[in-house]
Amino acid sequence: MDLRFSEEDEQYRRQLRSWLDGHVMAQRGGGSLASGGGTDIMEAIQMARDWQRTMWEAGYVGLSWPKEHGGQDASLTQQVIVAQELARASVPMLINTIGLSILGPTLIQHGTDSQRARFLPKILSAEELWCQGFSEPEAGSDLANLKTRAVLDGGDLVVTGHKIWTSLAPIADWCFMLVRTDPSAPKRQGISYLLCDMRSPGVKVMPLRNAGGGIHFSEVLFDEVRIPSENVVGELNGGWAITRSTLEHERSGLSGVLSLEQSLSKLRATASDMRRDGRPVVQDQATGRELAQRWIEVEGLRYLGYRTLSAQLAGRQPGPSTSVGKLFASRVRQRISRTALEIEGPLAQVTKRSPHVVDRGRWQAVYFDSIGHSIGGGTAEMMRNAIAERILGLPRTGEG
Amino acid sequence: MDFELSEEHLALRESARALIAQRWDRDKSRLALDRPPARMPDSLWKEIASLGWIGVAGTEELGGSGGDLMAALVLAEEAGRGLLPGPFLPALAAGIALDRSAADDQRAELLGHLFAGDRVLVGAYDEPGGTWGPGSLHTTVTPTHTGLVVDGVKILVPDADRASAFVLSGRAGDSTVLAVVPSEATGVEVIPMNRFDGQSMAEVRFASVEVKGSTLIGPGRTPGGGQPADDAYDISTLVCAADLLGVSEAALAMATGYAKDRVQFGHPIGSYQAISHRLADLVVDTELGRSLLFGACLAMAEARDEAPRLVSAAKAWMSDTAIGATETALHVHGGIGFTWELDVHLYLRRARSGAASFGDANFHRDRIATLLAARDPSRSGPELT
Ligand SMILES: Cc1cc2nc3c(=O)[nH]c(=O)nc-3n(C[C@H](O)[C@H](O)[C@H](O)COP(=O)(O)OP(=O)(O)OC[C@H]3O[C@@H](n4cnc5c(N)ncnc54)[C@H](O)[C@@H]3O)c2cc1C
Repeated sequence: MDLRFSEEDEQYRRQLRSWLDGHVMAQRGGGSLASGGGTDIMEAIQMARDWQRTMWEAGYVGLSWPKEHGGQDASLTQQVIVAQELARASVPMLINTIGLSILGPTLIQHGTDSQRARFLPKILSAEELWCQGFSEPEAGSDLANLKTRAVLDGGDLVVTGHKIWTSLAPIADWCFMLVRTDPSAPKRQGISYLLCDMRSPGVKVMPLRNAGGGIHFSEVLFDEVRIPSENVVGELNGGWAITRSTLEHERSGLSGVLSLEQSLSKLRATASDMRRDGRPVVQDQATGRELAQRWIEVEGLRYLGYRTLSAQLAGRQPGPSTSVGKLFASRVRQRISRTALEIEGPLAQVTKRSPHVVDRGRWQAVYFDSIGHSIGGGTAEMMRNAIAERILGLPRTGEG
Repeated sequence: MDFELSEEHLALRESARALIAQRWDRDKSRLALDRPPARMPDSLWKEIASLGWIGVAGTEELGGSGGDLMAALVLAEEAGRGLLPGPFLPALAAGIALDRSAADDQRAELLGHLFAGDRVLVGAYDEPGGTWGPGSLHTTVTPTHTGLVVDGVKILVPDADRASAFVLSGRAGDSTVLAVVPSEATGVEVIPMNRFDGQSMAEVRFASVEVKGSTLIGPGRTPGGGQPADDAYDISTLVCAADLLGVSEAALAMATGYAKDRVQFGHPIGSYQAISHRLADLVVDTELGRSLLFGACLAMAEARDEAPRLVSAAKAWMSDTAIGATETALHVHGGIGFTWELDVHLYLRRARSGAASFGDANFHRDRIATLLAARDPSRSGPELT
């Protein structure tokens, strides 16, 4: 057993670190869309696009993509290193993450040459931002129940329907979506995967305010939107299998560990600064135990991540075990924010821009964000179903 | 970058699992609850020794098998899975502790006999009074011109009835040390205690026990520059955490098997989420436990600074997980789970016993809290009093 990266990898890390050192200060205060209430949102978005472009030009975007498609063909360990260093430097997230992590790999695997040439470069450079139009009012966990229709008419597909919870829709240029193209086929067999220009006539975006107060997701209405049939990915009616295959592009989860670690060390600092009965809260035994438990959980995720990475490096598919990491990561995120609000005590109710607010209200934002984490991208229950069926081999559970 | 069990580990695991299942009749663990303690037959002890298990992680020149710490944890996990009683795990842990901290002549004298199964050495670490672990020892080890004198009381000592000698922790002046004390020495008294799972356990009193020769193990050789008594406790803690992992996985496997077979309301009970989701959560808990165990093992093997924190993390986590897994397994079995005949309660008992051994979960969380506080950057501003 050996957790060290190779000297070559460490060299790569040093290069990245010194490159980041040169750029971090310039990028500070870039703002995040998800946090909501930003004063000049358009400016923030432009900065985020610029930041991705800068990263791309330096060779740090599209790491897992093959070189022939504009990627870096980076090794798994290099991908981990980049994620670690970006978290360490607290630089903004890449704004086109949905395009980079979901659509890009899908097009590389299933797209036509012309689709790849048309879309991939602009995903990398953030020239075109993407959103994911999968969920619908009647199709959440039961995604295959989606109703949005697409009918062939000449060379076009005409799309009518209702998508919801679409993250980043107001700023997205394009949307990859699932639609029903054969209503007579069994649920999973009549679905197609489409690419839709968000500026097409008939597309209407209605932003929703989320529980935390931010604008993050939207409803998107499609009213006879014409999409040229060359924008179908894969076979007509073959969309479901394509979606499944992209979900298999699982990560080791190591990238998430660093942000949790940082969150936890900020919390320790808060617990050291705050007083309870005249003493730093961190010295209270119950609080100390809670913080110790959070530390244990984050370390557990770290070493789970190393096990997953190790299996990937050995050429084994980590498979369903990544759902263990995802499920647990969202749980830890929630526990950290709950512990934070407990540490704040009675001040947990005081919000930002108020006298006596703790850490400018950061933990309430983190708290809401963490609650959304076990809903978006598959709820905790869906992950438990997957673990029960695919790891334990239990009979199909709770999904009809 | 390589963070998996090696081919050798996997082969060892497989043969250990098969051998324990074949040679240790779990009914004996049940019978021992009425007539304690659970005893490994001498023949099995000899077989284990001849397979090189006791010295699996021991130095080869001294009769060990030359494996790494992970190999020892693989065996500890299988012992837990198969409900194998002592003195295997206590002897395994004592051997590793001595190999790490004792001087060359001490190792040469002690380890060969231990690895060959001729002598049984077990650790005697915890003391009565409600403060646990090596941080607050009352036992004294006083060097004399012929050897040393030991005074003190140890409790929760595993397999004291089989021990030829104790590896005992104590204070010698300002440092905490280990000393090897033969069980037949004058002034040693073994008073049996009853353990929840029927394994052997005792209080051992040392009343001005004189030991000849150089059996005191002081600081100096312990990896990472640590104290031998702390290091020995950490090794036992880690071995116990691995035992608990085996217990947890066995309980999960029993419950999963039953959930597939047992039909109620026309479907296997495993198709109901009230059952399947609890089992899925146990997968998460055991996978996290395994990950922490690997992390702690590597940190101990490399004597990294965070090793003590990670050992405590693995033990705290596995203590909670083993209790949760065995309680859940019992519940999933319904009425039959609550019977004497089913093995589930044996696992629950071993989980509860192990969870309480070498520091319970709260002991280790408090230890982590202390170790983390020592790392905090000092905050500005005067302390309020
Ligand atoms: C922050 C956020 C961002 C999102 N971004 C996007 C996006 O960009 N694009 C997109 O397409 N979607 C997005 N979603 C939608 C997300 O994928 C869905 O919300 C999710 O799949 C759950 O679907 P639902 O909301 O319809 O809830 P439902 O499926 O109705 O679930 C409601 C509750 O019932 C439980 N439940 C449902 N079925 C079962 C079952 N079989 N067994 C046990 N329990 C069950 C669920 O776990 C949940 O607790 C986002 C959601 C959030 C919160």
